[in-house]
Formats: sequence, structure tokens, C-alpha cells
Amino acid sequence: MLKTTLAGLRAHKLRLLLTGLAITLGVGFIAGTFVLTDTMDRGVAKTFAKSADRVDVAVVPKTRDDPDKGLPVGLLAKVRSVPGVTEAQGRVVGDTALLDRDGKAVGDMPTVGMSVPTGRLFRYEMENGRTPSGPGEVVLEKDLAKREGFRTGDTVTVLNAKNRPHRFTVVGIVDFGIDQEAGYRGAVGYDPATALKMTGARTFAEIDVAGGTVAAVRDALGPGDREVMTGEELGARLAKANGADTKIIKTGLLIFGFVAMLVSALVIYNTFSILIAQRMREMALLRCVGATRRQVFGGVLVEAAAVGLVGSLLGLLVGMGLGWGALAGINAAGMDLPLDGVTLAPRTIVVGLVVGVVVTVVSALLPARAATRVAPIAALRTDLEPGDGRFRLGWVRTLLTVVLGGVGLAVGTYGAIGMDKGQVAMYLVAASGAVFFLSVIVVMPALVRPLGRTVGALPARIGGVPARLAVANAQRAPRRTATTTIALTIGVGLMSLFAVVAASGKESSTQQLAKQFPVDFQIQTQFNAQEKDRHLPPALTQALRQRPEFTAVIEQREKETRAGGQETTVATLTGTAFGTLIKPDFTSGSAAGLKPGAAVVDGVTAKAMGLRAGSTVRLQTARGALPVTVAGVFKADDAPIVGFLLTEADFDRGYAVRGASTVYVKARDGVPAVSARKAVDEAIRPFPTARAASAAEIREQITKSVDMLLMIFGGLLGLAIVIALFGIANTLTLSVVERTRESALLRALGLTRRQLRRMLSVEALVMAVIGAVTGVVLGVVFGWAAVQAMSENSVFALPFGQIAGFIVLAALAGMLAAVLPARRAARTSIVESLAHD
Amino acid sequence: MTSTFASPHGGNPAAGSHPAGPRTAAPPAVEAFEVSKVYGAGDAAVHALRGVDVAFATGAFTAIMGPSGSGKSTLMHCLAGLDTVSGGRVMIGDAEVTAMNDKQLTLLRRDRVGFIFQAFNLLPTLTAEQNILLPLELAGRPPHQQWFDQVIDVVGLRDRLGHRPNELSGGQQQRVACARALVAQPEVIFADEPTGNLDSRSGAEVLGFLRSSVREMGQTIVMVTHDPVAASYSDRVVFLRDGEIVTELHRPTPDTVLDRLKSLGA
Repeated sequence: MLKTTLAGLRAHKLRLLLTGLAITLGVGFIAGTFVLTDTMDRGVAKTFAKSADRVDVAVVPKTRDDPDKGLPVGLLAKVRSVPGVTEAQGRVVGDTALLDRDGKAVGDMPTVGMSVPTGRLFRYEMENGRTPSGPGEVVLEKDLAKREGFRTGDTVTVLNAKNRPHRFTVVGIVDFGIDQEAGYRGAVGYDPATALKMTGARTFAEIDVAGGTVAAVRDALGPGDREVMTGEELGARLAKANGADTKIIKTGLLIFGFVAMLVSALVIYNTFSILIAQRMREMALLRCVGATRRQVFGGVLVEAAAVGLVGSLLGLLVGMGLGWGALAGINAAGMDLPLDGVTLAPRTIVVGLVVGVVVTVVSALLPARAATRVAPIAALRTDLEPGDGRFRLGWVRTLLTVVLGGVGLAVGTYGAIGMDKGQVAMYLVAASGAVFFLSVIVVMPALVRPLGRTVGALPARIGGVPARLAVANAQRAPRRTATTTIALTIGVGLMSLFAVVAASGKESSTQQLAKQFPVDFQIQTQFNAQEKDRHLPPALTQALRQRPEFTAVIEQREKETRAGGQETTVATLTGTAFGTLIKPDFTSGSAAGLKPGAAVVDGVTAKAMGLRAGSTVRLQTARGALPVTVAGVFKADDAPIVGFLLTEADFDRGYAVRGASTVYVKARDGVPAVSARKAVDEAIRPFPTARAASAAEIREQITKSVDMLLMIFGGLLGLAIVIALFGIANTLTLSVVERTRESALLRALGLTRRQLRRMLSVEALVMAVIGAVTGVVLGVVFGWAAVQAMSENSVFALPFGQIAGFIVLAALAGMLAAVLPARRAARTSIVESLAHD
Repeated sequence: MTSTFASPHGGNPAAGSHPAGPRTAAPPAVEAFEVSKVYGAGDAAVHALRGVDVAFATGAFTAIMGPSGSGKSTLMHCLAGLDTVSGGRVMIGDAEVTAMNDKQLTLLRRDRVGFIFQAFNLLPTLTAEQNILLPLELAGRPPHQQWFDQVIDVVGLRDRLGHRPNELSGGQQQRVACARALVAQPEVIFADEPTGNLDSRSGAEVLGFLRSSVREMGQTIVMVTHDPVAASYSDRVVFLRDGEIVTELHRPTPDTVLDRLKSLGA
């Protein structure tokens, strides 16, 4: 039996390959994910290992990332005096904003300010120049230098931690490569003493030691809040911290890989079902000559395993290509990943092969069972006509459809409307979507005819006889068409879902901006890790208020503190801006109650602390607890304020914060946008770290980031769609084989080759559009549910253009999928096809 | 004999009550000159047709007979433009079939030729009526309603028009195929064993239609068959052996056809 199966496979190499292609792509994506992340991990590990060579012993604080709990500066002297230590340097890290040639701080975040070790401990790559020494010298991170056009020998201005400008000469360009933050934000390197001064740091983030031993250093330092380790251990630890990033990438990509495999499974299932149906006689003949049902079953599964194995092996190759391509793409986009050969770990091979083979074999289980049901007598019957278009929805399917569909809809509705908004509701909606999708799979064969008639109405009217025949053909085998189209439904459905959620998100934020937040400009400083320095100086507000172009300049001041035993933020706005200019919706109370001794609070904080209008809460201030009455609770997303809002008088009494975290500017009516922008820019010019964004820019930024996310999702889901298109091509190819004589008859009666090709294109188009429309409907409905579940304020928006685009693209792609089968059909000789019996 | 068919054009000179027999006056509808067909090459070459010269008269019902492997189906395929020739020329009316490309051949078949095959004549997705009108629709020609009704009534399919092929018997299916060939009024109908899959009663019905369409409205039919009874419905029988025309017979009867076949050693 095994021999027969394998001989059959050898005889149908092309069929084998086509079937395996779906698996190849799915496995390729999964393998590609591993290859990409493994190569990234290995590159990182290698660089860290290199840096570890240079450091013999490293001292690091136990609690990282807290600048106040670093290593005391005095520790360095102690380390230096340890016997055997030839050199020891403290590592300083902080924020020092580099100014560009126009005098504005570079980037959205201040550049990193860090110490650059000298001598043996220097563990970076010097692009050119030398390490800095003395108070007048810096080195720049290479991408930063390139972006801003600075070279060795240039003079640059850098702001210290107190935002005071200092001038330096650039003495070198450094590739900080292994330091991700330096690579992302850009970095300015100083000698250690200057670095301490510039960053205002009072502690070291790390002390690197050359010579000496871990034991010696540990003994010399005695117990304390720190760890002493070897250079290798330090390298491993840093590499691991970096690895956490690749883990997130890996998980994210594997989710899309899972979707792709799901689609592959559907395609494989369908292909095997059709193949078995076409080989009824072969199966029956096997049974006639004495093969048991078990042997027939086994034969089909062996075939599936072989297809899965070949497909997966090719998939590994594709995966290596994809991984390499992704790395090259990321590097081309400006990142700097170490690229020395792609890594195909044994784990990747095992996972790829196992997933590929198991998915193929499992997908072939039902078709294999169908094969065992062929009666031996079928060998003697003539071929059955392929499909008469009938499909009876049996009671099992009816029951399943009703139950799954009902549960999906009920749970989805509850998640969308009945529940508290938030993550739990969204998960519930997602789960209900999956359940409902199952019911669509079950009922789809019954929907093929009505959908086919509807979708095919237009092509049938304008496409002439070939199109009418095509529309009829698409409905001939409802199960086959259903599975073929469902594969496409998955990808298109998820795309539509994301598109709806994205469009709604954009619309919600735009409406929020317009309704609750009608300012023209928002001015903030570069985000600064050190909270106390995040403020805009009062002088900036003064400058803005002197401009005649503006009617309102409002300061928002904030202080992090505690209230009712929890961490929170207390804020205030200039004068009566709250309630007049910034006016969120209230769930209880109102803005009118905001008087001295009272506060308003956002809904999320109120819920967390159990507050309502009328409750009293004690805010922690510099002068002890300040009791305030809650005058109202506003919707959390409606205002740019988190926590409590007090009157200015109360805020000033409790907190010494004079600088604003944000300044809002409203232009006078009739002032052109360009003039207003110019006025803002002039007013903030003396403040290098202040940056102004107009409402339009904020909207654009939101739009841009949402679109970017959608594009990434689209790209990743694209694979699932491509696999589904291979499914369409597969189904068509097999249908073409089945209808050889029919095609020959049509050709004999005067159908031109071109018309025959068009016929298959239209059939593919109808199938693709059925799948896409189903996907779009599901995506929009559950997108709506997700939007409802997301938050109180979310507004549903339907991206008509995109949705229509998906359907049109699916239609075009479907026709593209028909090209090869159509050529094959058109090439067939009429005489031979007619004679074949 | 009452007329089963009346020409839609009324004054067709070919129509009427001509007695059976070759009409030498009218130019032939189909003509083959020195047609040869070779499959394969070298030692493996098979000569299916070896320089066939034959003419099929307009308004005549001609049968092509011969033992299995004599090349009769190949000849018909070459005449109808379904297959290419290795040598020689084929003319349908004034059109040189052998000089045409695929597109021209397709249009020739669509506009000027009708087909009736042994089996698998109909598209399973179409109803009987849609099948009958298919060639006209492909050509974009509106059907002649009166003629259509006449053909439908003659083949007796009026109450079956809405049925799909799998709801029709073999005889009914073949009658649909005849109606399809007749409705388009082609210059010539090629029939390949049209009764090969039918019982004798259904077969006699189908052959009756074919003969009356020739006699009463001057349709030209070329039929390949191996059945002497079927051949006896024709005006003239051409005998093929080993790719060559060996003899022919006018006004055949089943007995004369059988005798001639015996003499060929079939």
C-alpha cells in the first residue's frame, strides 16, 4: 500500500507541489520568524560577548533603572584600590539634549548623555576621531551625527539637566551599537567627570573594572545594594535584557503565523477533498483488488504526510529567505542589526517540520475518511458529473449554525453593549467573533448559491456567455466553493476588523480633540525621564500671552503625589479654562462645583478609589494632607487630565510646581493658521526643548501612527490572504481537470480561448468576492462590537474606501489566481479532451 | 410525406422535396484535397490519413464508415477544424480551414459548423433551452423565434426546455444536441456516432430528424458511424480503410452497407 501511494505521488509531482505550497508559505512564515529573532539574538549576544572581553569585573546596582538608587560615586575609589585592579571607570547615563543647527532640541526625546570609558574599557566601535577628555569635548552617536549633519571638529550645543546650554567640540563619532537606547534616541558621550556634571547624576549605573577578581572586589566593597559579576555575566545579562524585545516580536509574529497556518489547513483540507472526489475510481479500484478501508485511509494520510514534509522542507528554505529579507529590510530602514549570516537553529527545523506535517495530516483526516467510504462497485461506474450545485443543510449543520451563531451574537452583543467598557469586554467580543466565525464555516456551503447569484449578477449581465457559465460553475460544488472562499474570509475579515477599529480610533480621537479640547496648539517639552525637569518655564507662558494673535494661553501644571493611599496625579489649569475651554462630559457632578476646597476627578481614578460627587479625599501635599470634596467625576478620555484637578489657589498652596507640563494656546478668530503658527514658533524659540504641535499636527500624528500599525498588520495578514489565493488557484486547477471535456465541448461549439480564460477568471472573481464580502461583513460587525467595547467615548467609523478597496483587491487577486489554471484549460487539445472517456 | 421542417427563409432553393441522392449541380459544402494526418514521428509515426480526397455535397446527408482505426473520426475532426492536418487542404464553402489560426477556427466552428457528439454533448450547468441557444449566444446572434419553436416541436422537447441534462434521458439529451445543431442553421453539421449511446428506438428518432432536416430544408450533414442501420439513413456512404477512401455507396440500405463492409474485411 505504501508503495502504491508513493508511486502515485511520484506520478503527480506537480499536484504534490501545488498542494504543498500552502504549507510551504505557512511554515515559511513561522520559520522566518524564528530565523529573524534568532539571528537578532545571536548578533546581540555576540556583541555583548565582545564587550565582555574587555571588562573583567562589573559592579551594578541591585535595582536597575532607578537613577536615585545607583552606585554612590565614592564607590569607584574603593574599587580602584582593590589589589589587582588596573583600571576602573563608572558609567554615567542621563538625559542631555543636543541642539540642532537651528537651536532646537533634537528628536522627540532628549538625547542620551553618557560617559565614554577610555583605554581598555572602551567597549564601543570608534567610527572616527577619539574618545573625549576634558570639559570641552564630546563624541556623538553615529546615526545622530549623520541625521543632524555633525562631523568631527564641529561645535555643538548641548543642554545640561537644568536645560542650560553648554558648547562642546565633537572629537569623534561612535557606534554605540549594543546600547539600544543610545541607538534609538541618539547619544552624546563625555568623559566621566563631564558626564556627571552634564547629566546631574549623583550615582553610577555601573562600574567596569579591568584586572582583579570578582571575589576580591566583592570582599573590598563589603555587603550592600549591589551585585558584583564577571564580564561574561554582565554580557549575558545585557543580552538577555535585549532578548526580551525579540521575544515580543517573536510572539507577535507567531500569532500571524498561526493565522496563516489556519488558512493553510483549510486550503489543504479542500485540496485533499477534491483530490479524493476525483480519484473515487482509483480508491474503488484499490478496494476491488482487496485493499481494506484501513489501508485506503492510511494511504491518504501517508500522502498527506509526504505533502506536508515536502512543503515544510521548502518552507524552511522560504523561512530563511524571509528572515534574511526582514533583517535586510530593517537595516535598510535605518536600524543597525548585526547581520552575519542567518541562523537556522535545530529548534526552527523541528518546529517547522512538525507543525507543517501535523497540520497537513490533520487537515487530510476528514478527506481520508471520505475515501474509505467509497464502495468497490464505484470502480465500474462512469464518472459522476462534478457537482449539481445542490446542498442540503442537514440537521447537524443547522443546529451547529444556530447554536454557534446565536452564542457568538449574544456574547458579542453583551460584550459590546451590556458590559463595562475595557479590556475584558474586548476579549469577550474577540472570543464571540471566533465562535460566530465557526458558525459561518458550518453554514457557508448553503450560502454559496445565494451569494454566488448576488455577486455574479453583475458579471453575468455584462460578461456575456462566458461570465454566465462562470457564475454557474462557481456555484456547482457548494462545499468546495465554501471552503475555498472561507480561507480568504479569514484574512479579509481580520483586515476589515483592524481597518474598522483603526478608523474608529482615529475618528474618536479627532472628535474628542474637536469637542472637548478646542485648542489650536499644545506646547510640551521633550519627554524627560527626570520628572522634575519636565516643565515649561513660566517665561514661555508670559511670552505667549504677550502675543496679540492668541485669545487664551492656558497652563496645565501637574504633580505626582498620593491620595487615599494610592499614587495619583494632581493637576491644575489656568483660571476658568476647565469647564469653558476644556470641557469633558461629567458622569456625576459638574465643572461648576470646582471651587477652593473642591476637586474634580477622572472616571478611572474615581472608580479605583471608590469616589463619587460629594466624597471627600485627602491629597498628600508638601504641607501635609489637604482634604478636598469631589465636585464631579468626568469621563476619563475626555480631557488630557489624569487624576485630580484643583483650583490654582489650592494647587499653589499644596505644591511648589511653577512650570507647566503643557501649555494650550487658542488663536483669536480670524488669525490665519500660518500667522498663528509663526507667532507660536517665535515665542518658543528661546526655549530649545519646548515643542509646539497644532491640533492638526496632533490629529495627523494619531492618524499616522494608526495607519502605520494598520499597514504592519495588513502586511502580516497579507500572507494569509496569499495562501487563500493559492487555495483558489488550487481549486480552479482541479476543477479545470474535472471539466476537461466540458471545456472541449465549449471550444468545439465556438468558445474562443480568450473566452475560456475569461470564464475561469470570472469564476475566480466570484469566489474571491464571496470570500471577501463575507470577511468584510464579519469584520465590520465585530469591528463595531470591538469599538463599542473599547471605551465610553469611542465613535464607530466605517472606512468605506478601504473596505471597498479590500473587495476590489480580492477580486483582482482572484483573477490573478486564475491565470495559470486558465492557461492550462485553454491549451488543452479539443480532440483529445473529447476522446477521453 | 408531410413536411417536418419548413425553411424559415421560405424560398430556399435547396429546400423542398428533392429525392435522396447526390446533387452534383451545387458546389460541395465541404471538400478535402490530399488530406493526410500523421501522429508521432520516425519509426513511431502512425499515418491516420493518407491523402484523402473527398467532397460532401451541399444539402446531402453523407455517412463516413470504416473499421475501427480506419481514420474516420480523424477525418471528421480535420474536416471540422477541430484537429490540424499534416498535409493537404480542407475547404468549408469558400473558407480554407487548413489555413486558419485557432481564433479563426473557433469563429468558423461557432458561425458555420454544428456538432453532435456521441456523448457529453451538453453542459451540465445549463438547462436544455440554454444548451440549445448556446452557439447563438456565443456568436451574439439573436435566435429566430419561429425557427426555434419549429425545431423544438420537431424534436419534441417543448416540455423539457427547463430541465438540466441530468434530468433528461440519453435519447432526450441527444435530441437536445440535435436541436442545438439545427437552431444555428450552420453550413454543415458534423455528427460523430450520434446514436452510439442510444437504444434503437431513440436512435431511430434522432436519425429521422437528421434525415428530414436534410431532405426538407437542405441542411448538410456529415456523420461518422460504424452502424450500418444508421448509415442507411444517409444519401451516400463513404468507406475508409487504413486512412484512405476505398469506395462509396449511394442510396444505401443496411444490407448493401453491410455487404460493402464485409467486402472491406471489417
